[in-house]
Amino acid sequence: MAQDINVPKYKMSPATKTVVWVCALVGLLTFLFGIYNNPERVWYSYLTSFFYFTSLSLCGLFFVAINHITNAGWSVNLRRVPEAFTAFLPYVLVGAIVLIIGADFIYPWLNPEIVAVDTLIQKKVSYLNEGFFIFRVIAFILLWLLFAKKIVGNSLKQDETGDVNLTHKNLALSVGFIVVFALSYSLFSVDTLMSVDPHWFSTIFGVYAFAGLFQSGLAMMILFILALKAGYLKSFINDDHIHDMGKFLFGFTIFYAYIAFSQYLLIWYANLPEETIFYIHRSHGGWEWVSLSLLFGKFIIPFLALAPAWAKKKAGHLKVVCVWVLIMQYVDFYWLVYPNLHTNTNGMFPETPIFNFYEIGIFLGFLGLFLFAVNKFLEKNSLIPIKDPRLHESMHHHL
Amino acid sequence: MSKYVSGVVGFIEDDHKLLAAAKKTYAAGYREFDTISPFPIHGMDAAMGLGRSAIPWVTFFAGLTGCSFGLWFTWWTSAVNYPVNVGGKPFMSLPAFIPILFELTILFGALSSVGAMFILNGLPKVKPPVIDPDLTCSKFALFIPETETGYSPEKAESHLKSIGATDIRRVAEF
Repeated sequence: MAQDINVPKYKMSPATKTVVWVCALVGLLTFLFGIYNNPERVWYSYLTSFFYFTSLSLCGLFFVAINHITNAGWSVNLRRVPEAFTAFLPYVLVGAIVLIIGADFIYPWLNPEIVAVDTLIQKKVSYLNEGFFIFRVIAFILLWLLFAKKIVGNSLKQDETGDVNLTHKNLALSVGFIVVFALSYSLFSVDTLMSVDPHWFSTIFGVYAFAGLFQSGLAMMILFILALKAGYLKSFINDDHIHDMGKFLFGFTIFYAYIAFSQYLLIWYANLPEETIFYIHRSHGGWEWVSLSLLFGKFIIPFLALAPAWAKKKAGHLKVVCVWVLIMQYVDFYWLVYPNLHTNTNGMFPETPIFNFYEIGIFLGFLGLFLFAVNKFLEKNSLIPIKDPRLHESMHHHL
Repeated sequence: MSKYVSGVVGFIEDDHKLLAAAKKTYAAGYREFDTISPFPIHGMDAAMGLGRSAIPWVTFFAGLTGCSFGLWFTWWTSAVNYPVNVGGKPFMSLPAFIPILFELTILFGALSSVGAMFILNGLPKVKPPVIDPDLTCSKFALFIPETETGYSPEKAESHLKSIGATDIRRVAEF
């Protein structure tokens, strides 16, 4: 059966190429300009975008893994899109090394002068120190790269050999990855995002970051899938695939709200000063509007916009919602990182929110690299896993 | 209980033929007919020209009602009828009430959906006449009721014959 399926070969359009290079160039220029003119600001911006695209890339591998674990047949035709996301992981490794270079500008616990007078940070030094931080960040990314190489590599190998055993191997690998991912991504988010304010802690922080990862990752996947459905994969992706992805996005929009509120409720109830400071910072001086925008923009608006059945199927509508969710995901990480700018640990209220070309430029830079990595992967490999044993299930996917 | 409706039933060999038969029956202008199968058939709703169910609307508005009721009830109990100072928080503390609002939204939405499903399906039916016991395990049938516009048993029989029914009987269902 597999032989008579003719899968079109993907080619990056000239327009995409232009966008990729312009974005990457803008990012590089913003970065270089910022390094000389406003290094602290540009490193904050770098951290936000770095974490954003690391999460998107990982979401690809996570999505592939849960589909292997659940023996899902319906998603086989879509699988190359999340697999392509993992092609960004090598860039994440380079990005992390760059982040480590600029870490002094971001993390107050790396500054001996601050640590010397700060008892709370002194108590955490055995975990929050330069050597261990570098080791963890690099080790986590290498682990992800290893799993991505194995899981996606098996999938690509199957395109050639059609060996069913590769599917069974991927099941075991995926179970391993889910365990590794849960631990490593939690700690990664704690190390890179939460420790920007080393006094504050929230035990649900890793889950919060994951909720954002999956919501935004699904939105990005849907955008790619819709683009492929409109052209290359017209006969391979049907409305029910889109409907299922829409339901996924809808479900994990609710999941995000659930986790975000859980974090808020417990901190509000317990009323411990070290914990409430996080929300106090984010409910004054203009930040209250950013906080409220998360409630509405990341939950209520996408929830209502995706609630009816037609909304999860209609390409035009879904695209707008996905772009919206992706924008709100940036606002979320911005909201986590930026209130600490210039006010690290001295207990003062944050400056009013600032947002201009420093944030947009760096974001575009990462976006360019991400699009480049994903497009290159799709160009290099078959657009659907042509010899997957469950391919026929996906071909005739019907709700 | 609801009264029974008589009509004509035609037995069809398998699910694929039943799907095609439903499409032809709809195209021939029948709107009230029903298909009977031991298992759900993909695409049957569209083939029979059935619109979307009204249940999502019931769920949505019942959920809103539950949410509003929860808000009113927590406010009334905690801030009006029996105010108790808990940890120095205001009597009307929305974050503390959200879980209750959420639960009541789910409770109202879920129970109303099940209730609406029963009403819309006309359930429960007490001892409905059985067309053929095998329709719950191995047979497939298409039923044209007497309530159909321009119904006549002869016309229905000839239509069922034309769509390939193997066995045609006049029966009472519902």
